[in-house]
Amino acid sequence: MADGNALTLQHAKHLLRRTGFGASQAEAAAFLASHATRGDAANALLSFKPAGFKPGGRYFEDIHDKWIKYMLKVKSPLQEKLVLFWHDHFATGISKVLDAKMMAVQNKLLRVNCKGNFKTFVKAINVDPAMMEYLDTPRNHDEIPNENYARELQELFTLGVKDSAGFDNYVQADVAQIARAFTGWDYDKTAYLRDYDHDFAVDYPTRGPKVIFQSTGGFGGGGRSFAANGEGEAEISTVVDIIFDHEDSQGKNTVARRTARRLIEYFANPSPSLAYIDAVVAASGFDTNFELSGLLHQIFVHDDFYLTAVAPVGAGTPKSVRWPIDYVVTSLRLLKMKLKGKELYVDGGSYNRVLNQLSNMGQTVFDPPSVFGWDWEAAWVSSSTMLARYGFARDLTAARGGGGSSFRPSKLMSLDLTDPNDILAAATDVLGITGDLSLSEQSTLVDYLTDGGAFPSLDLNDYDVRNVKLHGLFALLMQTPAYQLQ
Amino acid sequence: MAITRRQFIKRGGLVTAGTLLGPQLFGNSLMRQAYAALEDNDRYFVVIFLDGGNDGQNTVIPADNAGGLLTAYNDARTNLRITPGELTNSLIGLDPISGTQLGIHPGFNVPGDFFDNGAGEGGLKALYDAGNVAVIQGCGYPEYSLSHEEARVIWQTGVPLGTPAGTGWIGRHLAAQYGGNQIPAVTIDDSIVGEFRQTGTSILAVRDLDSFEFPFDGAYPDDIGAKRAAFNAINLAAVTGAQPSAVFIGNTGNATIDSAEAYQSLSGLYNTDRAIFRQRYADVGRSVSNDLREVARVIYGVEQGVANVNARFFQLSNGGYDTHSDQGGADTNGQQYSLHAELGGALKVFFDDLTDMGIANKVTVLVWSEFSRRVPQNDNGTDHGSQGPMLIIGGGVNGGVYGNHPNINDAALDNEGNTEYTQNANSFRATDFRDVYGTILQHWVNLPQGTVQALLPLDSTPDAISDPAHYWRTANFDLGFV
Repeated sequence: MADGNALTLQHAKHLLRRTGFGASQAEAAAFLASHATRGDAANALLSFKPAGFKPGGRYFEDIHDKWIKYMLKVKSPLQEKLVLFWHDHFATGISKVLDAKMMAVQNKLLRVNCKGNFKTFVKAINVDPAMMEYLDTPRNHDEIPNENYARELQELFTLGVKDSAGFDNYVQADVAQIARAFTGWDYDKTAYLRDYDHDFAVDYPTRGPKVIFQSTGGFGGGGRSFAANGEGEAEISTVVDIIFDHEDSQGKNTVARRTARRLIEYFANPSPSLAYIDAVVAASGFDTNFELSGLLHQIFVHDDFYLTAVAPVGAGTPKSVRWPIDYVVTSLRLLKMKLKGKELYVDGGSYNRVLNQLSNMGQTVFDPPSVFGWDWEAAWVSSSTMLARYGFARDLTAARGGGGSSFRPSKLMSLDLTDPNDILAAATDVLGITGDLSLSEQSTLVDYLTDGGAFPSLDLNDYDVRNVKLHGLFALLMQTPAYQLQ
Repeated sequence: MAITRRQFIKRGGLVTAGTLLGPQLFGNSLMRQAYAALEDNDRYFVVIFLDGGNDGQNTVIPADNAGGLLTAYNDARTNLRITPGELTNSLIGLDPISGTQLGIHPGFNVPGDFFDNGAGEGGLKALYDAGNVAVIQGCGYPEYSLSHEEARVIWQTGVPLGTPAGTGWIGRHLAAQYGGNQIPAVTIDDSIVGEFRQTGTSILAVRDLDSFEFPFDGAYPDDIGAKRAAFNAINLAAVTGAQPSAVFIGNTGNATIDSAEAYQSLSGLYNTDRAIFRQRYADVGRSVSNDLREVARVIYGVEQGVANVNARFFQLSNGGYDTHSDQGGADTNGQQYSLHAELGGALKVFFDDLTDMGIANKVTVLVWSEFSRRVPQNDNGTDHGSQGPMLIIGGGVNGGVYGNHPNINDAALDNEGNTEYTQNANSFRATDFRDVYGTILQHWVNLPQGTVQALLPLDSTPDAISDPAHYWRTANFDLGFV
């Protein structure tokens, strides 16, 4: 039913914006022309084959900048939006891992699995060297098991602390038992198990049988044994199988509900209804097949996905604040600009490298603030982070060095427009925010263009007029609250 | 090869996760109730980071052999040795337990214009003689790291063990106390530093107030007024609009432009009112003196009541301390000599400036480095080390020597040639850096002890709990230097 809904232009733009790095009005129209329904659109967006890209380099700055460059050029931006989501979800920071190559290997793992089978994905993360290092798996020995990974595996990666009704999903005993499964694992280039450091039940009788979820999960008082497929290497895989069978206090699959919720929060809106979550899980069968692309498809075609796809005037549903990475990559893509030099700087204004600019906006990829990832929404907004965004917008429009790293509005719109209303409309089309500005904001910008009515028509072919007013207009647009939202 | 923290941990055995400081700490109502504002106390706090690992052993030096330390020092340092004769004009107090006479590096005893006019007396030594410098010996933490990056993060976050905290030790206090539209802290840098990292409030990162401005296109200054008016109107429209997420962005936008313009005006104000001191910073003529001048400009602005300027916390750094080679000893051309001269000279001008403003008692400066250096030297330099001195400078500081000189006797050094961290009550007990931070938070920022402990959690891994002699299991936030 949802598949067959016709797409509107506004919805097409919203879909492209949420699943990618911006869409101009023209791109949205072209997309709509070849994908008339929501189902067609979702199929097309999810049809990409995940690339095996791995950012190269010895140092953090290298892999950071390589990833940014890749995001700027990638043909399927949804792939990178997903990789960013998973990077935040399976947060791992180079400031503890201290190895750029390991971080790059993880980055590729996130990409390869980004829309695949979620259970397979979690099993792969179990033995990813960067993740192991970050959450102390190599320091998890049979004598005193280290519970860090066992806790985060449940709390952050799969079940969540509490279910939708507020009941605990697991207890401390589950953390302690799961920690036993991971004892003795270490890595060289890949992960391996050191039997002599592994907790075998016979050696630690006081720790009880290798059973989890005796008080939660719907498995009954006996719980489930993660030694059922044999002790040793198989345990960490069996643990994941059991976690994926866990049911919450309402009898629904816990992992499915939680994963769907997080993906909706990322792609659609910050406070999804339980009805939306359950509908997409049911329609995709995610609670049995755990296939991410099917789940994503249902998320993208549901009515609730389009709740924020309305003009802000009169709309009450909170829109999402764009991530700094999104703000930077989208702006560069929409303005068709390149970054310059080995250090990837914007060729204007502060000439600061993009790594520093993103850091000032509050987001350094490969180095999230903690295992909780980044704080979203309002946490992105402060005087200093906004100043960084405003500065970036200024830098882009002050880039006048010529060539692909300069701002060239002639490549984006017609310079023969003279009516300020037409000019404003063309600029908002380029930036994909047509219809997002209130009447008051629009009239402010028209006033700006005409210097309060003193110059009712503009000659954009005049060098100074264009450099002052048209460059100025684009900067102001990228500094509006509307442009920070999606 | 230097041991990495990971290797150390593997050899040491079993370490389980330390505390994870997540966003939940900011929402703690106890913290929100319990703070006392630095603002209410009308004080300022400046952090100076010596980037690269300052050699503490040649910063605070034995000048006699009362405790046998001079013999140990002479064994370890050959061509880098600074002799008692070379320390005659830079003697400070005595090592508390051994009674050894200590001296600071002679480079700290030169005037601000040393680089132009040569030797004289002044610098940090002059501040010490006025009772305004606390030298805290042997500062460090358990399971020390020899990695610049890792060690720096540890000092900035205040969490040595387990998964690194994502927030800075000062940042956690700032986020609890200040809202998103306030700017309580300024760092003289290109981006926000680790100490201030958090998501609750705003930190200004600025290199140079002279060129700092709200980012308008500088190529067309005549149009800036029009851009500003448009920016203002758009943000106001968002605040009164119907999109909830746009409301707080609109508020932030206008607060940001007001603050940015206020900060920009500080440079002109200072240059007009304090031209003499502007020249004195220029006479030192180094980046550290430029940066301290920027801090002075902001402080002056706050003191003058400039609207929208309210910063109380500052940070700046000086680089070049990673002296693996050509470190130099007491010779005035040496690398370390030069670093100490410029830092000491700049600090003297800074405090003269503050004294002239009448507020030297309201400002405290903390100087730290991510590690000290290996006790035995190499050819003509030193490699990465462990505990080292921290300096606290201010009109309200109780000057003198605190903490114990580390045990540099060869037999007491570890496999890496570095001093060991111990919390055993003996003559070589180390000072945990968190006790220094905590003393500042409790006695300078005036937070209650419980709040401070929540910002700086004790080591609580199983190893730490079972071995309090080698971990930080008892806090001492009353070190007494402030």
